[in-house]
Amino acid sequence: MKKHTRNLINSIITNAFIILLGVCMLYPVVWLIAASFKESNTIFSDPGLWPKAFTLQNYVKGWQGIGIVGFGTFFKNSFIISGLCVIANVIFCSLTAYAFARLKFAGRNFWFAVMMVTMMLPTHVTTIPRYIMFRKFGWIDTFLPLVIPKFFATDAFFIFLLVQFIRSLPKELDESALIDGCGKFGIYTQIVMPLTKPALITTVIFTFLWTWDDFFNQLLYLNSPSKYTVPMGLRLFLDSSGISSWGPMFAMSVLSLLPCFILFFSLQKYFVQGIATTGIKG
Amino acid sequence: MKKTGLALLIILMSAVMVFGQQQITIRWAYWGSESRVKRSQEAINLFEAANPGIKVNPEISGGTGDHFNKVDTQLAGGSGPDIIQMGGNINDYVKRGVLLPLEKYSGTILNTAVIDPSAIESGTIDGHLYGVSTGVTMPALVYNKSLIQRAGAPLPKVSMTYEEFRNYLVTLKSKLPAGVYPMQDIGALSSNSTPFGYWTRYNGTPLYDAATKTTAVKPADAQKYLELFKDYRNNGLVPPADIAAGYAETNADTSMVIAGKAAIGFIWTNQLAGYQAATTDELCLMEFPGAAATKALWQAPSQFYTVNKNSKYPEAAVKFINFLVNSPEAAKVLGNDRGASASATARAAGAADINDRKVLEYLDVAGPHSSKETDHVPNDTEFNSTLFLIYQKVAFGQISTAAGGQQIYDLIVRLIKK
Amino acid sequence: MNKRARKKAIRENLTSYAFLIPWLLGFFVLTLYPMIYSFFLSFTEFNILQPPKWIGLRNYFVMFIGNEQFPRDERFLNSLLVTFKYVFISVPLKLIFALGVAMLMNRDLKLIPFYRTLYYIPTLLGGSVAIAALWRRLFAGDGVLNTILRSAFGLNPPAWISNPKYALYTLILLSVWQFGSPMIIFLAGLKQIPREYYEASAVDGAGKMRQFFSITLPCLSPIIFFNLVMQMINAFQSFTQAYIVSGGQGGPLDSTMFYSLYLYIKGFAFSEMGYASAMAWVLLIIIAVLTALAFKLSGSLVSYGSGE
Repeated sequence: MKKHTRNLINSIITNAFIILLGVCMLYPVVWLIAASFKESNTIFSDPGLWPKAFTLQNYVKGWQGIGIVGFGTFFKNSFIISGLCVIANVIFCSLTAYAFARLKFAGRNFWFAVMMVTMMLPTHVTTIPRYIMFRKFGWIDTFLPLVIPKFFATDAFFIFLLVQFIRSLPKELDESALIDGCGKFGIYTQIVMPLTKPALITTVIFTFLWTWDDFFNQLLYLNSPSKYTVPMGLRLFLDSSGISSWGPMFAMSVLSLLPCFILFFSLQKYFVQGIATTGIKG
Repeated sequence: MKKTGLALLIILMSAVMVFGQQQITIRWAYWGSESRVKRSQEAINLFEAANPGIKVNPEISGGTGDHFNKVDTQLAGGSGPDIIQMGGNINDYVKRGVLLPLEKYSGTILNTAVIDPSAIESGTIDGHLYGVSTGVTMPALVYNKSLIQRAGAPLPKVSMTYEEFRNYLVTLKSKLPAGVYPMQDIGALSSNSTPFGYWTRYNGTPLYDAATKTTAVKPADAQKYLELFKDYRNNGLVPPADIAAGYAETNADTSMVIAGKAAIGFIWTNQLAGYQAATTDELCLMEFPGAAATKALWQAPSQFYTVNKNSKYPEAAVKFINFLVNSPEAAKVLGNDRGASASATARAAGAADINDRKVLEYLDVAGPHSSKETDHVPNDTEFNSTLFLIYQKVAFGQISTAAGGQQIYDLIVRLIKK
Repeated sequence: MNKRARKKAIRENLTSYAFLIPWLLGFFVLTLYPMIYSFFLSFTEFNILQPPKWIGLRNYFVMFIGNEQFPRDERFLNSLLVTFKYVFISVPLKLIFALGVAMLMNRDLKLIPFYRTLYYIPTLLGGSVAIAALWRRLFAGDGVLNTILRSAFGLNPPAWISNPKYALYTLILLSVWQFGSPMIIFLAGLKQIPREYYEASAVDGAGKMRQFFSITLPCLSPIIFFNLVMQMINAFQSFTQAYIVSGGQGGPLDSTMFYSLYLYIKGFAFSEMGYASAMAWVLLIIIAVLTALAFKLSGSLVSYGSGE
């Protein structure tokens, strides 16, 4: 009984602490959401958090996009690009990571170092040669420059991430699988993929978010407004010389958080399934 | 794996199909937000209806930074758009030889006769017409009329001398509540060097003369300018450096006037509507001090339409530009969004809302207090950015006004040589 | 026997490279050429629109030495300094915070799915343009923080975001605030630690503290190492947040002029892509040296399962 009360108090304190910390961290986000319901001409002059006059106008106007193309199109394009990138990264980065983490071959350390180095060069200086290259392929104003590279495991971040996770798996697992007659590819699909699920889920979430947010490349390669994406659409609400529409921008910013939010919320439960539930004896 | 290959093939094939079109398509790159996009698209629709066989594909970026990154990359990659919207940096693009001289189309597909000579002149560099002005704009001071009235202070006169202006700021300071300043520190702004440019004209020492490649500004002149604002700062007429730096003044949302923390700020006249849309207070325009006596103000093209030298369809592009600037139908849908039109035929169609009327009233007063625009210092963007840095060093008290004056001078000289 | 072993080794090499084919293709076709080209550009003067002009080592010379004719670029050295400060303060803070929260989120509370998502929301905002407005609102002279400090403590605080002494720290705070990515990776790592380890040590009478140091930290070490290296690489290249919050200026007084921001301004705004490329390669060398150092040190500190 006594232990029960102590547990209860413990739980209340933990919850309270989490909530309090969360509230501090979320203040800016709450302000953003509140601002999206304010009249455009009061967003910056009205200091209060709560809108004096509550309006849905920003959402209505924002959804119409830039007049000639609606925001729905931007969402569709962003979904296509992000979705394809997720699929590509999960398959090809894990394939590459498996090779680096588990297979023995000549030149492994060299190639691994090369892979690490590819992450260290600021991308702004490779912009122009890459653009010239993709233009020669005839890929300008298509989604291809944004998507195809992922099919060649160019996202070294995820390779490195998965390498670290695969290396921390007990090695006896593949050895026993090898004895059971699995080939290398079998070990990859049967053992490694399922066991690195948390890391793969991480790959899914990050790839989706980062592609969703990747404004610079989308700006460079997409020309026709009908191919524009969400971050490009958001930037079009802000104009350095003319009329900015902060209200619709905030409203669409809130909407653009939703897919990421839902994706995260629905996938985070996979973090709960730790390695223990897969039935390995420690 | 097989499925992925198939998906790849489908993607590639659909890409090929997109490229197999028949019609002429000209690409028009500009920056702007939703209202400009809408207006521009209406103009495109009108043009396409009148010119079957020509399609116009707009390539829109949200701001100048994005626009020029994209255009630069496209030009470097050999796939620049046909029509490029340009700003004060047009010279830099002429110098790098990427723009097409347009005078050969003048009188045939480009009707330059009805465009104001001053607008033609501003787009003419080294004797060639490279840019067609999208419309006229002027630098101005903007003040928050409602705020000043609430504080019980008198409203400013549109034209003042520097002495009157300083006295007015002192009066304002005595009336305004704590934390609200008479004027934002507009001495130099991150986004452009216009207030400094104005003062050098007022001082009789214009920043740059392209014909002789020289500047009339001496270190002592720049120092005098820094001291002018130092005086304002020390007397609380403009905010201290760290408060001022909190407002980038690139846009209505980063404007101290819109935030209600300063009564007076700086804008270009074509920005008035955008600023007004961001506040419920009423905004009005006044001149920079001393303009009446010195004619130091100027009218500037807000932007230019230019044509890529490597355009495959230069004639279609020029035809479209002619339509945009001269046709009354286009003028009606475009409005004053890219500045007040410089074309007589387009102006004849004009209609004005309250903000446009305020701008026109201002132009009526300030127009006679203007003279020809000074040439832009080469490497415009670098000039703005570095001038701002030097100005801030002085404002934060890191260097003296004398050292600041010297650094500004060195900067101008270096950029002219670059 | 020997022959068979060699045959086996060759076969194993072939299988391994088969797995690497996509990555190798991507590297040679998509990554290598732009890298080499940018290396070449670092020895040129290149304004993007006209062909590059070979100038040898001058770009590098201007960065570090300089003379009368080509004065040393003080803004470059400043940006390097700012970036080092940013990296060495923000990365450890962010990692400690992320690990702490990850452990907090690794409990069996009912509301955990909700909390996790809540804590991840700041990261969802990423480099959104809305951040600039938010951060100014919090840390401006009359921002939320100062309003609280004034009314609750009667202080007279500075304008954090526009004061050159403090502006960088608001960006460090922004980086720590967006701790979601390393947190998720930590969380995934924590989930991979077999529960039996804890159960066994609990039987041995180990307390929470000892479990943390004897089980959690060692088992998590590959992941901690990963997060450390990646956060460091990312922090050195940090760009978007500074760009957005400072309106692309790196101000006030260049106090938030990150290396990548200056590189970008040089390359695109000032049209000195050759110089920007040289800067990129200097940064690459700095990061590579530090990463190699981290890998060297990790040999003794990181334990990988039962492998290697």
